[in-house]
Amino acid sequence: MTTVVIVDDHSIFRSGLRADLDAGLEVLGEADSVASAVALIASVNPEVVLLDVHLPDGNGALVIKQAPGPRYLALSVSDSAEDVVGVIRAGARGYITKGSSGAEVSAAVVAVASGDAVFSPRLAGFVLDAFGAPAGEQAATDEELDRLSAREQEVMRLIARGYAYKEVASELFISIKTVETHVSAVLRKLQLSSRHELTAWALERRLL
Amino acid sequence: MTTSTIRPPLERSRLAVVGGVSEGLALHLGWRVQTVRASFVGLTLLGGSGALLYLWLWALVPLVASEEDTPVRRSAPVSLIAIIAAGVAAVVVVAMAGEDAVLGWLVIVAATASAAVAWELAFDRTDPDRPLRYRLAIRFTAVGLLVLAGVAALLNRPSALAAVVAVGMIVLAVGVVVAPFVVQLWTDLMGQRAARVREVQKAEIAAHLHDSVLQTLALIQNRAEPGSEVARIARAQERELRDWLFAGEATPVDDLAASLAALAATIELDFPVRIEVVAIGASVPGHPSVVAAAREAMLNAARHAGGTVSLYLETSPESVDVFVRDRGPGFSLDDLPTDRLGVRESIIGRMERAGGTAVVRRTATGTEVHLHLEASP
Repeated sequence: MTTVVIVDDHSIFRSGLRADLDAGLEVLGEADSVASAVALIASVNPEVVLLDVHLPDGNGALVIKQAPGPRYLALSVSDSAEDVVGVIRAGARGYITKGSSGAEVSAAVVAVASGDAVFSPRLAGFVLDAFGAPAGEQAATDEELDRLSAREQEVMRLIARGYAYKEVASELFISIKTVETHVSAVLRKLQLSSRHELTAWALERRLL
Repeated sequence: MTTSTIRPPLERSRLAVVGGVSEGLALHLGWRVQTVRASFVGLTLLGGSGALLYLWLWALVPLVASEEDTPVRRSAPVSLIAIIAAGVAAVVVVAMAGEDAVLGWLVIVAATASAAVAWELAFDRTDPDRPLRYRLAIRFTAVGLLVLAGVAALLNRPSALAAVVAVGMIVLAVGVVVAPFVVQLWTDLMGQRAARVREVQKAEIAAHLHDSVLQTLALIQNRAEPGSEVARIARAQERELRDWLFAGEATPVDDLAASLAALAATIELDFPVRIEVVAIGASVPGHPSVVAAAREAMLNAARHAGGTVSLYLETSPESVDVFVRDRGPGFSLDDLPTDRLGVRESIIGRMERAGGTAVVRRTATGTEVHLHLEASP
């Protein structure tokens, strides 16, 4: 049983999502602001927090900073690079849009709970773009944080093309575990990279 | 018995000689224009009240309303007349320099030259009959006359008062050169401020709609059957709202990613399908063959597969790659009769004629069309 807290300032959306989530997920509570979310997370200590990017008294990144315990899955109506990259760099392990179905959200929650990263096609596209993949930039070593390795680029491209992890695995003749490792490595780069273009790029894409 | 005639409203014409007052008044009173003009002149000669009345009417009578705000054209070259008067007075100043009577003429030069520049700045600027050359000529002649008269007066040991006036005129001349730039700067500043206010307002509306309407639209899509009419309408509505909120006032450019996204949007309206468009790389102009082939691929996916279709576009300086992937039962080229133009002609043939390639691939979970085009050298 995976325990979940939903943080979103729209009560209709919270109750709709709650009703849609799989039976395997236990919703411990809901919060509608940064302050109440931080308090709730501290008291119930969930495994995963479903986090809206925009909150009335701040943004999702603020909740992640003030309550760093659980794993975060960002859930937003916004598709802008600034929002997506911003919340991932704050520490979220995945990003999905609110148009996703209950089953998709549930699967993403389970994946995040087990330590995996959840990349939507759009997020994969952002990553490829921000790390200069279309221009042919490629990391020489695995330790390099500012560029993606050839394999990571392949995985990201397939995800951007709409392939699920399982399909990526069979396409590249590798195991799902390996795909997950690559995705987690990309997530780490996204969070830790000091590539200066990353922020500038996201800001530039603000009007997407 | 009295015949009540409906008087036309008292308005100033947009095709005026000076201010449009006489013409407007004549029309309103039913007099001849010449009579009105003569009355103004007569009243002016009898103690100046005519000029005051004219100015008063000019200030208070509105212009004829016009829809697209037609600029006012004035046939009398008032600034030219003023500058000629200033020129005559300046000649007198140069001739009489050193005499006491020069002071009065100095004042006349200063007054007429500034009047010419003031008229130029206030009225000629918006008058399409006054070209820029005319306006610049007025301005620089005024500067020249002011400096000429001022210097001539100063060089001839003027009285203290005349010296003050002369220095004042030179300062005024500098002011005339600088004034238009200050006016321009001020106008720009005001324009920018207004634009900023509009931007802030729009951002506030955007934030509000983002938090309320977009959420609701997302919820509708989420709760409605995937691919149902309701979900499609909500999605189209969401996209329109987003475009309006975030697109800003950027002018549309020829961009491949934007063209494909727009195509996807129209296809989504016609079929129960959701097309996820992801585009990376630099913006490139929309190559007609790529756009048409991608459209055909999306249509095929929408018709035969439905559900969620992924479109991925990657552009690099060397090439353009488009992937359209669906999760339908899939089709094989060999199964298709040769007379079916769909895939064979409109996707593969089209790309080959454009010098690119198109590959249709069936995977375990769907079909993927890959369009590839090298950049032309």
